[in-house]
Amino acid sequence: MGRTVITITQQLNETESMLSRFRRTLRRSDQYIFDGLFAAARRHIAAIGQAESLLPFESALLAMLLEQAKEIAVLQQELDELKKKRTC
Amino acid sequence: MDEATGWLLDVYADTEGGIVLWLLADDDKRLRLRMDFDVMFYAAGDFALLRQAWMYLKEKNVKLERATRRDLFLGKRDVLAITTSNPTELPKIFADLSRRFPSLDYYDADIPLSLRFIAQTDTHLLGRCRVELDGERVWSIEPLDSPWEIDPAPIPLRILTLSPDENPVVRKPRNLRVGNKEKEYSLSLEPTRAFLISLKSDLKRFDPDLILTDYGDTWLFPQLKIWSQESGLDLNPNRDEDKQVLTRRADSYFAYGQLIYRGAQAHLFGRWHIDRRNAMSFGEYGLEGAMEQARVTGLGVQEMARKSPGAGITAMQMLTALRSGVMIPVQKQQVEGRKTLADLIRADHGGLIYQPIIGVHGNVAQIDFSSMYPAIMVKHNISPETVGKENAPEGLVPKTLRPLLEKRLALKNILSDLHPRDCRIEILKARAAALKWLLVVCFGYLGYKNARFGKIESHEAVTAMSRELMLQAKEIAEDMGYVVLHMYIDCLFVQQEGFHRSLDFAPLMNAIEEKTGIPIALEGVFKWVAFPASKRDARVPVPNQYFGAFQACTEPCRSDGTIKYRGIELRRRDTTMWVRKIQLAALEILAQADTPEELAGYIPDVFALVERARRDLKAGRVPLEELIVRQKLSRVLDGYKSPSPAARAAMQLKAMGREIAPGQSVAFLFTRGGSEVHAWELGEALNPGRLDTKRYFKLLDRAIQTVLDPHRRSCVSERLL
Amino acid sequence: MNILPVLKTGRLIALFTPHAGREESMALIAELALRGAVTVLDGGNRFMPYRVAQLLRRNTVDLASVSKRVFLRRAFTCYEMNSLLADTPAFPQPYIVLDLLHTFYDDHVPIGESNRLLISCLGQIHRLGLSAPVVVTLAPPLAEERAFLIEQVCAGADQLFTPGADVPRSSQLSLF
Repeated sequence: MGRTVITITQQLNETESMLSRFRRTLRRSDQYIFDGLFAAARRHIAAIGQAESLLPFESALLAMLLEQAKEIAVLQQELDELKKKRTC
Repeated sequence: MDEATGWLLDVYADTEGGIVLWLLADDDKRLRLRMDFDVMFYAAGDFALLRQAWMYLKEKNVKLERATRRDLFLGKRDVLAITTSNPTELPKIFADLSRRFPSLDYYDADIPLSLRFIAQTDTHLLGRCRVELDGERVWSIEPLDSPWEIDPAPIPLRILTLSPDENPVVRKPRNLRVGNKEKEYSLSLEPTRAFLISLKSDLKRFDPDLILTDYGDTWLFPQLKIWSQESGLDLNPNRDEDKQVLTRRADSYFAYGQLIYRGAQAHLFGRWHIDRRNAMSFGEYGLEGAMEQARVTGLGVQEMARKSPGAGITAMQMLTALRSGVMIPVQKQQVEGRKTLADLIRADHGGLIYQPIIGVHGNVAQIDFSSMYPAIMVKHNISPETVGKENAPEGLVPKTLRPLLEKRLALKNILSDLHPRDCRIEILKARAAALKWLLVVCFGYLGYKNARFGKIESHEAVTAMSRELMLQAKEIAEDMGYVVLHMYIDCLFVQQEGFHRSLDFAPLMNAIEEKTGIPIALEGVFKWVAFPASKRDARVPVPNQYFGAFQACTEPCRSDGTIKYRGIELRRRDTTMWVRKIQLAALEILAQADTPEELAGYIPDVFALVERARRDLKAGRVPLEELIVRQKLSRVLDGYKSPSPAARAAMQLKAMGREIAPGQSVAFLFTRGGSEVHAWELGEALNPGRLDTKRYFKLLDRAIQTVLDPHRRSCVSERLL
Repeated sequence: MNILPVLKTGRLIALFTPHAGREESMALIAELALRGAVTVLDGGNRFMPYRVAQLLRRNTVDLASVSKRVFLRRAFTCYEMNSLLADTPAFPQPYIVLDLLHTFYDDHVPIGESNRLLISCLGQIHRLGLSAPVVVTLAPPLAEERAFLIEQVCAGADQLFTPGADVPRSSQLSLF
């Protein structure tokens, strides 16, 4: 925690509240997915902080993408295993 | 000329000039000695002004000279040196001078007398020394040991304990329990005269070096003064009978980001008084710890028991400055250099916090950097005057910290070699903890606004270095095939398939230590450790919140099959004892599991425990004391728009005429109806039927949810991650 | 409220709001940075670096270079504020002093001492004002006994802004 620069957690909270009207308008089911995007960013707070970016939300978007790519990789792996089982 | 040897107990200014020393002599006598002692302070700045100051002071009873002294940042400065042989006069002379010449820079004007004495004589408080005497006058004094002695000769203190039979805030005490090494007995407080006579004779007969009280600061000593005035019977609890009890008023102040309340204080002369209920860190490391801090900081035991460790570290820096011939400014003059927007974002950061992987993990090692921030300051020579400079000589802060770090490490090494049942362990632990606290706060003081030798850039340099070291540690671990589960400022949690003994992690530890140059220690290997998710969103991890069970140790390490927890309800002061007990019992049940997979088998036992607890509460079998909630009052009562439970409880007390200051904590019970709280210190008994059991159930459920959720979720979260 | 048009070398502008013009001053700093260098002296930890960066980004893609024109120094005590102002060189670039009085409201500092240091600070501000426009933001004191400090600063100001002082409140949703 710095003295003047707010933490990445605070910054993400602020961004989230700036987007609250956007979120409110989404369907309840989409809101859950939307919150998941921010949860994904929150798993990488250290990396976003270390990026020392003037606009941390840019790095947060990258963190969301990263979590998504990871999810896809996990699914891909499971799919491959299922396929392998079926062909055996 | 006589000679005496013994322990230095107390040093303070003599009203007649010079100083008074108290020596606990080897022949068991307590000697009150006097010594000539000049004290000096400096003024610097505009020459015309200095000349006027000279003219003004010429009339006073002081010695004046022009001198050149070193300012830590500005280098050599021409100063006006003002010397008095009466230390009690110095504060008055300085106050007067600074009022008349406020724009001069002042140095060395507000240094505690004990520090001046120590810097000049090389002795230390509680240390052994030899004095040459002529009657009560000291001609010379020399140290016989050093504050850095690992195993100092134990000082044979006579301790008297005094505690009332009731908390005086709640109920009027009737008796005072008096205890010494041999026996404990009760004195009736009434009739007052008889009580005073008994206490006076006890004090005289036993002649304690330390009076250890409960509520001595806030009740006993103020009350003794009133009683002796009313009864006309003079009772002076000081050993030095020329002195009166020194009282300090209560206050609230901001420190470490929170409002802290400090009760009134009663200090004695020639002996010490410590109020166990008003000693900031006493609970943490006790008398041994406070004495250890007094030894190394140069502040008296009475001070160290009550003050924050920050005061201690400031004192140590002052000592280093005095010994190195550096002047100590009354006002810090270093200000922040110019930063661009990008510089600020880069510099103004804390330690590295790497979010944990939610869920339960098996065979996890926790590795801690020992005293990371101070170690960085020493190794990388980070001090306000050296920051950003290559090859600078050792700075003031590293010079102060080096022996402290070395002593703590030495104590810890001794501790790890001792048998767990060794009787020395408790004392050594307390001393190590006391030193640890000094080390912990020293980092904050680099950037603290009121620190004498602080500079924000040095504070930032330390955190930047710590983040770099943590990343190095992470990279080494990953290179060696580990998964890094969590990192928090100076500790990391790592796991590797097939690694479960302490020794398995040794190569990693060696590699990290070699690369970073900072010592690390294995806190222990968890059989399993759980990182709970945020209560708001199960997908969000929470840093530094975990609980787990260590493996029983076969090799030397700090853990021994115990439970460890951080950040959960158990650690929080505002959690009721009842909830804490049950959460701990739940953890003890879960700790029987040897692997994350086995945990599920113990969940029914936890449910049974909770059911029993609920039934006990409903049936009124839980003592009310265990249901007390303690919360701090965050502001003055008028400042609340919608009063918090703590504020409502404080209002009840106010109605009875008892004021609670901001920063002070209020104890209360949750009740049904009315203001929904019942202030504990109201004194009147509460009908247990009025308890808001539902509210307590909610608190309990929350705490149980914390310890059960990670197990329930572990299968889901692992897939997601 | 728009301060920009009234900024002029030799003029001291004071902005007084409950939060020491926090929002307004960030917008002003961003506007000024788009035009050239600006120095911020922060006495109350009011500076919001990410906010300024966002505001700049709205008007330029070259955030990296523009952000190098915003210079900041912070003071955490009134003694520091005094030293900070005293060793700030007078360049022909605007100066924004955020929450000038915050550290002077500290009740650990005797009132007389606060007063003496403020007079010295105002002298330094005047010096800076000779070569560039200066804006000072102010927040109300915590205790009434230090309100005279505000008056002292305002008396020396050429123009005083107190935005939002008398805005009528409406229960209807605002469309703009």
